[in-house]
Amino acid sequence: MTYYIFTLVFFLFDYFILAMGLNIQYGITGILNFAYIGFVAVGAYVTGVAAMPANTVGQHYILGLGLPFPFNLLLGGFAAMGLSVLIALITLRRLRTDYLAIVLVSLSLVFYDFCNNYVSLFNGADGLYNVPEPFAKTLGLGSNNFIVFFACLTGVVSLIMWFVMSRVMRAPLGRTFRAVRDDAVTAAALGKNTFWMQMKAMMIGSFFAGIGGGLLIQFGGSFNPTAWLPAETFVVFAVLIVGGAGNNIGMFVGALLVETLLIHLPAFLPEIPGHPGLIEYIDTVIVGVVLMVMLWFRPQGIVPARLRKTASFGVDERLDEEAGELDRTTALAGVGTRAEATR
Amino acid sequence: MSVADPTTTIDATLAATAALRCEGLVKAFQGVHAVNGAAFDVPAGQITALIGPNGAGKTTVVNMLSGAMKADRGRVFLGETEITGWPSHRIAQHGLLRTFQLSRELGGLTVLENLLTAAPNQAGDSFLNALLRPGLIRRQERENAERALHLLAVYGLYRHRDTPARELSGGQKKLLEIARAVMGQPKVLLLDEPMAGVNPALIDVLGGYILDLKKDGVTVLMIEHNLGVVERICDYVIVLAEGKTLATGRLSELRQNTEVVKAYLGEVMDASATH
Repeated sequence: MTYYIFTLVFFLFDYFILAMGLNIQYGITGILNFAYIGFVAVGAYVTGVAAMPANTVGQHYILGLGLPFPFNLLLGGFAAMGLSVLIALITLRRLRTDYLAIVLVSLSLVFYDFCNNYVSLFNGADGLYNVPEPFAKTLGLGSNNFIVFFACLTGVVSLIMWFVMSRVMRAPLGRTFRAVRDDAVTAAALGKNTFWMQMKAMMIGSFFAGIGGGLLIQFGGSFNPTAWLPAETFVVFAVLIVGGAGNNIGMFVGALLVETLLIHLPAFLPEIPGHPGLIEYIDTVIVGVVLMVMLWFRPQGIVPARLRKTASFGVDERLDEEAGELDRTTALAGVGTRAEATR
Repeated sequence: MSVADPTTTIDATLAATAALRCEGLVKAFQGVHAVNGAAFDVPAGQITALIGPNGAGKTTVVNMLSGAMKADRGRVFLGETEITGWPSHRIAQHGLLRTFQLSRELGGLTVLENLLTAAPNQAGDSFLNALLRPGLIRRQERENAERALHLLAVYGLYRHRDTPARELSGGQKKLLEIARAVMGQPKVLLLDEPMAGVNPALIDVLGGYILDLKKDGVTVLMIEHNLGVVERICDYVIVLAEGKTLATGRLSELRQNTEVVKAYLGEVMDASATH
């Protein structure tokens, strides 16, 4: 039972991190990154090979640095970020919206086939396994205790990531990302370097993807191409859409409903007699239906993005009142009422 | 006054004080020349109108001046600095801001946030500052918000400060565009048909705001079809026709110019006579 519960807790926190990364790219900046799972995979693989020794019998891979946690995890995050810079340089300068999305899907497929077939990189289709479990030996943790420990550790990491993301979203940087999403031409006309802003969003989001991927491989001890089929990207999109694009709390709610309750919980339910494996397949159908229902009836998600009100800028109340007074004078002079007359 | 010579400026004195200057601008779309050698000076601290018949290339010129579109040929100077080929964000950072013919509000942002986006030199646009210097950002945000609220009050939009910009009416969006550009502290402001689709009462109000900008030392270049407005608030006029500078001068002088009357003013006067 402990194993089940803490596995669900782990996926909740891990997908919270993944969804926050996609949220800054798509929900906030409007970059339709259909290759997101590729960045998760890079984070996972690099975290794995950074932790593994130089040689392991029966496995072929690069690096093999034997780095301890969390340095291997950070390397995974930065590797995903580095890849995003390359991809952004290729795609963001010339492509927008749906064209960008199509190219990203293509790149994701190319990268997937490459990892699947080029064995020397990350052990090909077999993937990496027997990845050292962080702190397991030091703390003398058995497999069940490790799961409890690592789920809690992932919770702590997700809190740190949430703090970082909240700072970014509340800062002018977050506002500029939203300006670029709403209208890149206008944002540029107001002095914003839209390419660089989109690059920043790609880098931050991909770092989150890399960290989320790194935690995945550390939790399970293995990672192979079946874990990151390109369609997995859409699970993270489902988390984002159900939770509410643009809102970090929404990402947590989405991760709880979609990843934890709809995707992983059914796997722990008893089989339906006479229909082995049916539940496992039905969950994908349910996610699809939930997604359609959400897009139809509540496209803003369960916890919609909130507008930032004037009071939150810490404006001097006296100056605020003065502006209100001036506004009333302007209205008396006819400006406001005339403006409103054009409605 | 000069006629039919794109290389000629309004006069030597104005040329010396030009806040914005372009030479031999050319832009073709699939072989068709939208702009074909436009050249003019925009005098500093004045309001200049850019007029001409439909298809004369006015918006294309503004797009090239503001960096939204790259010129095939020609040069652009902002003061003494050549800005030819600069991207629009860099031009905006150097003090040339613009509005659009069709209002382009940042719809998902509140009215106040629209103005805050335009505030120049924001430390909080840096990731590291966002993460590590919240105090600096809070202070700068508060100062910018106070200035933005004052501007919103002046432009009659204060009561809508927390409204998503997409919910404003057409006239309010026009006001927001100008207020937002002013928030960017422009040296030169390009207004693309600010009076288009605006009711007569609001036209007077907008005209007043543009005159106020002049008092504050802002150089304004505005595309405008309403000759009444041009007459009331503009100091100089540049006439474009078929992508070339047809003439420059005061409107009263241009009314005497047969080529200008033939190319544009006659058409406008005839149109107004029929209403």
